[in-house]
Amino acid sequence: MISRTFIRYVLTKLFFLVVTYLVSITIVFLLPRLIPGNPLAQLLTQLFQQAQTNPETIKEVYRTLMNQFNLDKPLWEQYLDFLIRAIQGDLGTSIAYYPRKVVDLIMPAIPWTLALLVPATLTAWFLGNNLGAIAGYKRNSLFERVVLTTSLVISQIPYYWLAMVLLYVFSVKLGIFPSGGGYSYGSVPSLSLTFIVDFLWHYTLPFLSIVLVSIGGWAIGMRLLVIYELGSDYMIFSESLGIKESKLFSYAFKNSLLPQVTGLALSLGGALGGQLITETVFNYPGTGFVLFRGLSTLDYPMIQGVFIIIVATLFLANFLVDLIYALIDPRIRLGYAQT
Amino acid sequence: MKIIVYLLITNKRFIAGVSVFLLIVFIGLIGPLLYPVDPLSFAGPMEMPPCGRYPLGTDTYGRDLLAQILVGTRTSLYIGFLTALIAISMGTIIGASAGIKGGIIDEVLMSITNVVLAIPSILLAILIASYIKVRSIEVIALLLGITGWPWYARAIRAQLMSLREREFVYLSKMAGYRDIELAFKDLLPNIATYTFMAFVLYINGGILSEAGLSIIGVGPTKGISLGLILQWASLMEAVRRGLWWWFVPPGAIITAITSSLMIVSVAMDEIFNPKLRGK
Repeated sequence: MISRTFIRYVLTKLFFLVVTYLVSITIVFLLPRLIPGNPLAQLLTQLFQQAQTNPETIKEVYRTLMNQFNLDKPLWEQYLDFLIRAIQGDLGTSIAYYPRKVVDLIMPAIPWTLALLVPATLTAWFLGNNLGAIAGYKRNSLFERVVLTTSLVISQIPYYWLAMVLLYVFSVKLGIFPSGGGYSYGSVPSLSLTFIVDFLWHYTLPFLSIVLVSIGGWAIGMRLLVIYELGSDYMIFSESLGIKESKLFSYAFKNSLLPQVTGLALSLGGALGGQLITETVFNYPGTGFVLFRGLSTLDYPMIQGVFIIIVATLFLANFLVDLIYALIDPRIRLGYAQT
Repeated sequence: MKIIVYLLITNKRFIAGVSVFLLIVFIGLIGPLLYPVDPLSFAGPMEMPPCGRYPLGTDTYGRDLLAQILVGTRTSLYIGFLTALIAISMGTIIGASAGIKGGIIDEVLMSITNVVLAIPSILLAILIASYIKVRSIEVIALLLGITGWPWYARAIRAQLMSLREREFVYLSKMAGYRDIELAFKDLLPNIATYTFMAFVLYINGGILSEAGLSIIGVGPTKGISLGLILQWASLMEAVRRGLWWWFVPPGAIITAITSSLMIVSVAMDEIFNPKLRGK
């Protein structure tokens, strides 16, 4: 049964999402216009320097750029125009890959990024929470000390550096895994068995480097939550009633899991940021790689486009997690909470 | 007070973390003086593995990697501290204003905080950095500070909200304390340990994010940091060409700094947090 609290919760979240999304688009709009030194002007001088080699294209690019940024119109008109285009899904034309649309260049990379982000995050979340819960329950045991210390170190390794080390050991030295990319050169993405095997073979190292680093954070958090839970009154009471250990553990585990679901939504942004950089280490064909190419050619429409699309994707993912949270938490689902 | 010091110095984790961290700070501060080799001079042989003459080998341009690591460690620590300082100051001002003033100020400030919190800070930093042509080390730290403050502001506000309802605060209010006196005399001392732990985490964030920005190509445009060494290594395909001495040490130092600080922070939590103590 869906309660009024549930609907209100979902609507509040949705409203916040839309506002934040508008703010991000506004940031993207304002930045190039606020930062001294006008990067657009620099870009144009750069273009003019190249103009000798290919004058026709450069002129065309210049016209599109001017048209896109509407620099001759008043600021509010530029803003309105930008906003309407962004909502319609037009994020401009790439400079480096002129005349291709930014959206057309980024969209094919999104499934690759999600295919890495979602399974890796969920795997790390599942493993980390279980390890952390057991560690917290068996406080001061050898198991706890090993899990805690390992987690503390491993969670602080830079993703991309672990990626480099894994790549060096398993690809360069041992030759077990490929040295990068999303699939073998010359094969065409399809749903055939050979391609899937090839994909998974390329997928293993990026996946591992993300899972390994993120397990630690979840384990540390879950251990703490379980320890708090064990100290609460109902736990002490249950213990004095002589309830079975496994039952006590499952109480503590379930109650500690709720904040970790919210944590999942909060951590997605950071995880994604780390992943984008890891993708560039592996030349994995995701959005991180697109962003990297955009940054190295100062293709501003592309950089902006990646930012907007990633933020939008992330917000949708966050919203989904919030929704799941509302369905799991009986206080929201059935409407006991006073929110 | 004595008891706390005793608890700290008898905690193995705390001592281990502090020792490793201080050792690295020492390396960063004294190292470049003890090993006075120009890290940017092209004098050495190309891509030399570690040997007696070049303890950590050389890069593609014949530059001494040990000299780079020493200076890079110093820079990365500096970026970490500066980031933490900026983020904590902004977070304290915004969080404390919201928590102490309450009402409409609270709502406005917290809405801003939540919005900035929802946008992934590393992405925002990448976006802004791409528009800045000359990025000094300080600019990078500033960037990471102003994209990183929101979670601390929110935490500080939450802490103050719960403190506000305690008796000693009521007493101070009745005694006619102004808001600013209340903030400095009653409230801030109560969140000092918490702030210290947040500071430590921000140092980690600053160092890790700087390296991330560098690898993707929008790090500092001058100077040497651990992140920049990693970037040069990846530009020259050091990993795929098996030049392990180039990319392993910078990441290992970063990990040593960040994990030692993390261990210190957790050990302090075990000691100061009453919910964790004495079990």
